[in-house]
Amino acid sequence: MSMIESCHEELLELIWTIDEERGETDKELLMKKEGSASAEDYLQTLINNGYISVKDNKVILTEKGQEEARLIIRRHRLAERLLHDVLEVKDETMDSSACEFEHFLSEEVTTSICTLLGHPLTCPHGKPIPPGDCCEKANKEIRPVVFPLTELQPGNYAKISYIVTKFHSRMDRLSSMGLLPGVKIHLHQKYPTYVIQMGQTQIAIDSTVARDIYVRQG
Amino acid sequence: MNIDTTNTSKLALVGNPNVGKSVIFGLLTGKYVTVSNYPGTTVEVSKGVYKGHDGGIEVIDTPGSNSLIPLSEDEAVARDILLENYDKRIIQVIDAKNLRRGLLITTQIAEMGLPVLLVLNMWDELLDRGMNVDINALQDAVKSPIVKTIATHKVGFRELFNSIPLASVPELQINYGKFIEEGITDITKILNNATVVNDRALAIMLLSHDESLEKKLMVKLPDNSLQEIARIREDVQRHFSNPLSYVISIKRSHFVDSLIEEVTTAVGNKVETRPFTRGIFFFFLVPLAAFFIGYKLISLLMFVISMKWSISEIFDYVIKLSAGGIMSLCFTWYLYKTEFKARRNINEVLGRITMHPLAAFPLLITILWIVYKWVGEFGSGVCVDFLENKIFGSAEIPSDGFDLCIYIPFLKKIYTFTHVNFQGINYYIGLLAQKVISKDNLLYELFLSEQSGLIRVGLTYAIAIVFPIVGFFFLAFGIMEDSGYLPRLAVMVDKIFKRIGLNGKAVLPMVLGLGCDTMATMTTRILNTKKERIIATLLLALAVPCSAQLGVIASVLGSISGIYFAAYALIICSQLLFVGYLSSIILPGAPSDFLMEIPPFRMPKLSNIFIKTFYRVNWFMKEAVPLFVLGTLVLFVATKLGVLSFIERMGKPVILHFLGLPVETTRGFILGFLRRDYGAVSIFKVLEEQGGGHGIDPKQLLVSLVVITLFIPCIANFFVMIKERGTKNAFLMFAFILPYSILIGGLLRIVLRVF
Repeated sequence: MSMIESCHEELLELIWTIDEERGETDKELLMKKEGSASAEDYLQTLINNGYISVKDNKVILTEKGQEEARLIIRRHRLAERLLHDVLEVKDETMDSSACEFEHFLSEEVTTSICTLLGHPLTCPHGKPIPPGDCCEKANKEIRPVVFPLTELQPGNYAKISYIVTKFHSRMDRLSSMGLLPGVKIHLHQKYPTYVIQMGQTQIAIDSTVARDIYVRQG
Repeated sequence: MNIDTTNTSKLALVGNPNVGKSVIFGLLTGKYVTVSNYPGTTVEVSKGVYKGHDGGIEVIDTPGSNSLIPLSEDEAVARDILLENYDKRIIQVIDAKNLRRGLLITTQIAEMGLPVLLVLNMWDELLDRGMNVDINALQDAVKSPIVKTIATHKVGFRELFNSIPLASVPELQINYGKFIEEGITDITKILNNATVVNDRALAIMLLSHDESLEKKLMVKLPDNSLQEIARIREDVQRHFSNPLSYVISIKRSHFVDSLIEEVTTAVGNKVETRPFTRGIFFFFLVPLAAFFIGYKLISLLMFVISMKWSISEIFDYVIKLSAGGIMSLCFTWYLYKTEFKARRNINEVLGRITMHPLAAFPLLITILWIVYKWVGEFGSGVCVDFLENKIFGSAEIPSDGFDLCIYIPFLKKIYTFTHVNFQGINYYIGLLAQKVISKDNLLYELFLSEQSGLIRVGLTYAIAIVFPIVGFFFLAFGIMEDSGYLPRLAVMVDKIFKRIGLNGKAVLPMVLGLGCDTMATMTTRILNTKKERIIATLLLALAVPCSAQLGVIASVLGSISGIYFAAYALIICSQLLFVGYLSSIILPGAPSDFLMEIPPFRMPKLSNIFIKTFYRVNWFMKEAVPLFVLGTLVLFVATKLGVLSFIERMGKPVILHFLGLPVETTRGFILGFLRRDYGAVSIFKVLEEQGGGHGIDPKQLLVSLVVITLFIPCIANFFVMIKERGTKNAFLMFAFILPYSILIGGLLRIVLRVF
């Protein structure tokens, strides 16, 4: 499999965005936007590797090119979301950093970020993020992500995924009660205090404790 | 020396909280220990003898704990007993429907290498829930004898008794994985059989970082061993991101889960309430009860505001009826929609509704109102009146006897059988005494004087006033406790209690305090941290009036005006919250988590409630009667020596000028140290005399009652404070409460001037 360099990825990305905006990509416009001296060379490499074809002065992505560009765009826009939502980076920094991110994120990391962010549909600029496999799965299973017990709606069942807490004693207390990863629980109510059912035991817990218990619904 | 094992061996009862250890202890030994449907009631180790075993065997009841690796000092109790140096057998009591949590402990017992008999208790509740446990399969896996029982109904006890000699070490061995197992091996080398306990068990506890155990081992092991163990623990910890205790718990949990899967089956047919009973419950009892709740809530509200605005009788009636109707509709519709269709049984419905975010609050107020009617009006009103005035009476004036009669409802008639011409015990004793000595004799006064006679005041008060009030309160409390309402109340108040440095768990001592602060102070032991225990003790002493006092205050203030009683309640509650809030900030330490098991709602067993009330009242009388007599003696001596009038003179500036009360009330405040209710009565009488024909000044009354409520705790309570919290803390609290209560009274007087 031929690896393409980041400069080529940039070009593919550009073609995708122009396609997205205008429906087709003019070669002249592409060259102007790219603005690099060796733009022609990059274009030639992409043609040689079967990513794009040029016809009537229009640049068209091949199926292989489509696939590759889609992933690049996905990485870029997910990176933007991560920088924007989680790390709260300023807009200029976000743009430049996202451009770097898109070149080194592996498929696995991308999926993790996407899951972490809850499979977002759009980037901070409002452009669509091409969905990955994980997003499709998410659509089918409805929120497979792990979330704190506080987010679970009363009346629902969930499985404890993990417990994260700063307090050693809290963890010990929970585990001695048998509230451990893998245990199935049923949330009865949230107010005035959380009441969960584990097997035939009903347990009342503070919201501060509930926040530390991460569950997976279902 | 060869010791005969049957004489030195002991039987220890171990298990999770609220599984019925105390009931089984009672059946084994014939000794009574408080049995309750509130987790963690047993705080002390009880010991008794089981005679069925040849020669008798000592039985130890331990406080319930979820793990033998203790999290707190209280939980260490069970573990320490198991580690002690004598031959022992264990009866592990397991709640059959919560087998998993029980087996988590069984694996720990297996590691300790102790012979155990497993008792699957509450077998009926397991079947009711449509589940079954394959005893044979479980026995094959565990290899220890297993019996099933229903302890409260004494089912399965013959088997239990017969199986005690068969107790054997369970063959459960958990593989904790390479790294931890290596750590265990390394630590066992250091331990080298230095103690009687299985080294593997100790090693696992040490890896879990059990600090209290380390302290115990310090003396038995060569120097530097503990450092070496700590080093091994750190080495093992390096392989895991979570604390080792957590990793070990997870391994143990997985082991038990796979075991459970093999032995439990869901039969599927949950026992449902019969359709007829369900129908009655949902379509008759619920609407009726809800109507009553709505009606009462509005009545209470109207009672409070009736002082300010006069409302026509018809309008008043219409409002009350419509409130009842609305409440009735809401409850019935809601329960029909959510519970009736879900085919839940009645106990489950009650269990859920009593901690429902909305519905539980009107229920709570109504329950409080019923308890008040029962304890405050019937107990401390009717019964106390009868006992005090008719049965005991005065030494000088005959009580004129009483009518033995019956009230016929609906006809509203009273049918009198006969008139009992009984003039009161004190009167007869007085007559008898006067045959020997004159009324002016010091001895006569010591026992029978109206103000401070040991019999006339001390004994009469203890038996005629305190006994019925406390008795009625404990009956009500027992019902709340055994039905499972108290733990649900804990859920309701947790948010508020958090603000005052406590958590929901403190509801037990606080509610018990409304019965007797002394007893409540003792139960503060169930709280998790020292900080919580101190706050609870302080608040009990300061702002929780005991039933005797509350009864007097409610009847005195209630007879004057609803709004003053409401103001009283508001002030006391605000002080409770304010002082609690302050002390939660001032005292060091983090708040502890509220993590509490909620037992199922059960129909309380009346026999258990009566037995429990009997033991509690019995305890109370044993504690209280001598104190009353002692207190009265002190008062008598003080009066005779003129100390009382001296204190009255000392207190005069504060009482008269700051609180704006007559000087004579000082005596009431001093009496308050003996009996808070007694103090309240005496103040009321003084104010009544002062008021003369104009009636009592309600503002003065309010001020004095607020002060006497907040005022220093009674002698008995103070002694228990010293015992439980230490002399220093008790005196610090005393030193805070005394000026604080007067300060609040003074401020209240200033505020009241505005109105």
